[in-house]
Parts: sequence; structure tokens; C-alpha cells
Amino acid sequence: MRNKELSFWLFITPVILSLSLVVILPVVMGFFFSFTDWNGLTFNQFIGLGHYRRLLEDSQFRQSLEFTFIFAFVSVIVLNIIGLSLALLVTSKLKSRNLLRTVFFMPNLIGGLILGFIWQFIFVRVFAAMGNFTGIEGLLGWLSTPATGFWGLVILTVWQQAGYIMIIYIAYLQGIPKELIESANIDGATPFQKFRYITFPLIAPGFTVSMFLTLSSSFKIYDQNLSLTGGGPYNSTQMVAMNIVDTAFASNQMAYGQSKAVVFFIIVAIFSLSQVYYNKKREVDL
Amino acid sequence: MFKRRTFYKGLALFSAAGILAACGNEGDIPGTDGGTDTGNGNGDGAADGEEVSLAIMQGKVEFNAQFNELAQMYMDENPNVTIEITSVGGGTDYFTQLTTRFGAGDEPDIFSVAGPNEMEQMAEYMADLSDTDAAGAALDGMLDTVTEDDGTVVALPYNIEGYGFIYNMEIFEAAGIDADQIETYEDLEEAVQTIDSQLDELDIQAVFALPGAEGWVMGDHLANVFLSHEFNQDVNEAYNADTIEFERADEFQRMLDLQADYSIEPILSLDYSQQVEEYFSLGQVAIIQQGNWVYPTLEQMDPDFAENSVSMMPIPLDGYENQLPVGIPNYWAVNSNNDDATVQAAKDFLDWMYLSDEGKDFVINEFNFIPAYEGYEDMEIGDPLSQVVYDYSESGDTIGWIFNGYPTGFTNNEFGPNLQAYLGGEMTWEETIENSISAWESLQ
Repeated sequence: MRNKELSFWLFITPVILSLSLVVILPVVMGFFFSFTDWNGLTFNQFIGLGHYRRLLEDSQFRQSLEFTFIFAFVSVIVLNIIGLSLALLVTSKLKSRNLLRTVFFMPNLIGGLILGFIWQFIFVRVFAAMGNFTGIEGLLGWLSTPATGFWGLVILTVWQQAGYIMIIYIAYLQGIPKELIESANIDGATPFQKFRYITFPLIAPGFTVSMFLTLSSSFKIYDQNLSLTGGGPYNSTQMVAMNIVDTAFASNQMAYGQSKAVVFFIIVAIFSLSQVYYNKKREVDL
Repeated sequence: MFKRRTFYKGLALFSAAGILAACGNEGDIPGTDGGTDTGNGNGDGAADGEEVSLAIMQGKVEFNAQFNELAQMYMDENPNVTIEITSVGGGTDYFTQLTTRFGAGDEPDIFSVAGPNEMEQMAEYMADLSDTDAAGAALDGMLDTVTEDDGTVVALPYNIEGYGFIYNMEIFEAAGIDADQIETYEDLEEAVQTIDSQLDELDIQAVFALPGAEGWVMGDHLANVFLSHEFNQDVNEAYNADTIEFERADEFQRMLDLQADYSIEPILSLDYSQQVEEYFSLGQVAIIQQGNWVYPTLEQMDPDFAENSVSMMPIPLDGYENQLPVGIPNYWAVNSNNDDATVQAAKDFLDWMYLSDEGKDFVINEFNFIPAYEGYEDMEIGDPLSQVVYDYSESGDTIGWIFNGYPTGFTNNEFGPNLQAYLGGEMTWEETIENSISAWESLQ
């Protein structure tokens, strides 16, 4: 233990230093600035809760919050269902499973901005061309209505992140002891029973991890939003992150944007932490 | 076990080193190490000046390559001057980065500003440019918005730009329309209907391509035509206005409807690049509402078409027929928070760019700028669209740009989305106008 002194601090210092420089300090400063009339360079006075009071009446911010909540709710569910399905698929006895793993994971390697533009092309051009060719009305005019904008974002997000979630589930699926499955086979369990009573409870920690990741990432989406819809049409698909950036940088209301960011931070923290707490309780140990 | 230990130790050291290195970078301002070795000084006369470095930050990326070339030419001529240029992509990003650089103490010596709002925010950093030759050579009215009450000129115009209805001359000819005869809204409507009745014969998809995804095309440019006279064509008056009347809201609606009704669908996801590249430059539509800045894009797509088949006409406005909206999108400012030698060097560079023979040649032929200065009378303007703009501004048949005086975020967050909502059927026109008026009042 004596030895711990020096090497312990040696190891921990870079992390503490960088963490406090790039995370803790900015957060503290952010909280501070949200109570002032900071304009990005200087501030002249404290205005207390003024920005927060104004927030209550900001209809665009409220609408962005609503949109983000609905989006997060839908995409978390869809993402986890598809991620788990992909994981089950590539852990089955398929010949091409290694290739498939790579393929499913690949979208995750492309940056969100690029993906947004790629899917914009697909939704606006390819869908329209297919729609014109087949006469299916539903393929026309994507991203020009709030509903298609919403589903466009969901599809994009799911396509991008499902592979990542799949990897997490694969890790947990492979951790399931073979004996359990074998004895279940001997007892004559159906595939569904095996999934419901063995696989499902044993990958519960995987749910915790994946739900946490997908929930917080769905809340914080920005670049996909920016490049796919840009908030349009008429700001109906503007998520909170984008609303904050617009307020701070496009409208130059730094302090007001900062107060939005603080509110957003608290909301995301509450949701993520309570979700982790709840899921932790449901996990089972072997 | 040993291996893993060394790995982590190495990692710890590595990251510590990284942090130290990052900290050490502070103060290493690009462009400060200006020491070009001028050799044994048998160069031209300008070489005997003190070493100066000019950091330039500007918001017009389109001419970045040419601008760097010009700077290089200047550096060759004046070996004691080092110029470092940072060009930042259009719209909102530029100004954020500019303020960030000022906030970080890494201040550029020359920077660009667009509109009264940016100028007001940067006012304390903008040097007096009244004594520059360029300020003396600026065309009438070009310095109105950058001249303070006491006559101090604080910024110099980049260039002039103008917009209107850009039309495909071939299609107009085939449809039997003479663009010169279009003066009023009724003329335009008739021409549009004529073209629309023969879409198949002309082999085009629609008359217009209205980019509904771009709030600025409708909210800044189109609206400007109908709002400019409300503020006496004065951007500063708009900037200081507590409210907005929309006196010509009906005319504005009529023009927006005309474009929307005869446009490629779906409007709301149609963007600038589709409008200009896919539909107009490929001859799929007859008219787009854009400005002379689309010319390089058109030229890239089809040089022959761009040179011979494109022209521009004004957007009809009752009582002010045949007037083109012309304005100055960007201004140069010199950082006053500097020693006198650097400020003077910055002024010299700007003078040289717009008034020397090499500079003028570059401004016209490489930048494709429409100059806002005297001394270009016998030079040929680079392209047909710029020529139209130049002709209108020379004869004074212009409508002033007031949209740079909108409250910050008005088009992006309020007016543009409201217009989109109107086009999408979410709002009536009355609601659109009412919401936009109250947005103006709350933002102002």
C-alpha cells in the first residue's frame, strides 16, 4: 500500500486535470453565467433567475423539448429492439455472422454530419424517385413535413447506432453460460421460453448499459439533426441541443442559451440516473 | 503483468505530456512569427519597412483561394509584410469564431463584419478608416452604413451584390417572352402562366424552384423588396426600429404565392443547391430568385450556359418598377487594438487591394467582385449577372438592403420558420405576419 502513494497520484493526475479543465470547470462556469447577462466576452450584471423565468414562456424551447422527448422515447425503444435483434442474429449459427457484425457496425463509424447528408439525399431524392416510379404517395415529400422529418431522424439514428448497441448485447449474450441453455434444452424448453426466462434476465445489465447510452445520446443529438433537417420545416424538428446552439450562437444570446443548457443538463441527468437506478434494481446475479 | 504495467505507465506519461504540450501552445498565435528573411535588402523600396504581420479573418469562403493568392502577391511586393488569412464558412459560424478569437486574446488585425449588429458588437475594436484612399474612392452611398455621426468611416465595403429573378434566356425565347417587357407583377404573372402552359413543349419541370428549406431566400431577400421602403431603404433605420408594419404584406404574399404555386414540389425540403444546381443550371426551371453570387456555381456546371443564357431581372414592386435590390454584404474592419504600425499596414493592404492596378485586376477578374469603388469604369465586369447588378447600381435604380438590420435571429428562428409554416399550410398569412411582427418586437 505504501507504494500506492506516488503511482496512485501519478496515474490519477492527468485524468483529474483534464476532467476538471474540460468538464467540471466549464460546467461550473456555465451555471454561473446563466445568472448573468454574459454576451460571450463580458458580463455586466447579475440578473438572477431572469433567464429561467423567460424560459417558461419560450414556446419554441418548449416545443423543442417536447419533440426531443418524443424522439428520445421512440428511438430508445426502436434502437434497443433492433440492436438486440441484430445481436441475436449474429450470435446464431449463421455462416456469415462475422461479416454481418462488421456490416452492422459500420454505420457507427461514419460521422453524424455526413450521415445526415447521405440520408437527406436518400429521403429527398431516392425516396422521391422511387415514389414517382411506383406511384407510392408515402415516399414523396420526405423531410418537408414535421412527421416525415421526425421519422427521418429516427431512421437515421437507429441506422447509425443499432450496430453499436448490438455489440454491447453480443458481449452479454456470449456471457450466458452454456450449461443453462443445455439444461433448458433437456427440460424441453421452447426457444421463446429460453429467451424469456434465461437470456432475457441474464442480459439485463446489457439493457442498463444500452438504455443509458441510447437515452442520453438521443437527448443530445445535434449533428444529425443539423444536417438532415436543419430543424425544418418551420423549426418543427428542432431538438433542444440545436435550439440551444441557435440561441447562443445564431441569436447571440449567450447567457440565455446557457440557461437553456443548464435546464437541459438537469433534465438529461435526472432521466439518465433514474433510469440507471431503476434498471439496476431489476438485474439478476448468477 | 509487467507488460500491462508499462503500458499504463506509458499512457499516464503520454497523457500528462499531452496536457503540458497543450498548455504550452497558448500564446503561440499564428501569424506572429513574421520573419521572412529579406536577404541583403537589395529588393524594392517597400522592403525597408519594419517587419509587420497581418492576421486576417474573414467570412466569405467562396474567394478564399483567390484571396490567398492576392495576399501572396502583396507579400512578394512587400517582403516585410506577412499575411495570414483565415476564412470561415458563411452565416453564423464566422461571427462566433471571430468573437471567440477576440475572447481568447488571439485578435486578427483585419476582420470582416456584416450588418449593423455585428458592427455594434465589434465597435470598440474598429479603427478609424477615414484617411484611407479606399474610403475616398468609395462610390456614392457605399459608406452610408459604416459612417458614424461625426463622419468617421469605420469599415470598407468588400463588393456589391444584387439579386432578383435569374432567368434562363433560352426558355424565355422559346416561350416567346421578352424579359424586358416584364415590369409589374401582372406582367410577371402573365409570363409565368405562359411558360406554365407549355411546360411539356419547353421540356422543363416547372417555372420556379422556390427553396422553401432556406429561410433566408424568402425571409431576407424576397421580404426585403417589400420592406425596404418601410425603412426608407436604410439598414440602420431597420436596425433601430422597435416594430415593423409589413405595409406591403399583401404584395409580399402575392409574390410568394406565385413562386410557390408554380414551383417544383415539395417546396419545404428544396434547398439552395437543388435550386441552383439541379434545377436551374440543368435547365429544369425557367426562373429562380437568387443573386449574382450563383454565377461561379452555374459556370462550374456549364460554362457555356452560364455565359450566354443567363440574365437577371428585378422583382416587381408596385410603384418602384424596374429596381434591383443591391447591397453590400460584407465590410472590412481594421482592429484598433494594435500598434500604429500594424494599423497602418492593414490600411495599406486594403488600399492596395482595391486601388492598385494589380489589385483591381484581381478584384474584377479573380474575385469576380462588383467593385464598390471608383476607378473601375473602363474595366470589364466578369460575368453577365454581375454586369446586370453593376448596371442597375450605376444608374441608381436600386432597392436598399435592409435585412442585415433585422433583429438577430429574426429570419433564422422566427420569420423564416413562419413563412415555412405558411407554405406548409400550418399558418394563415395573417398569423404569419402577426407572429413575425411580435417576434420582431420581442427580439428588438
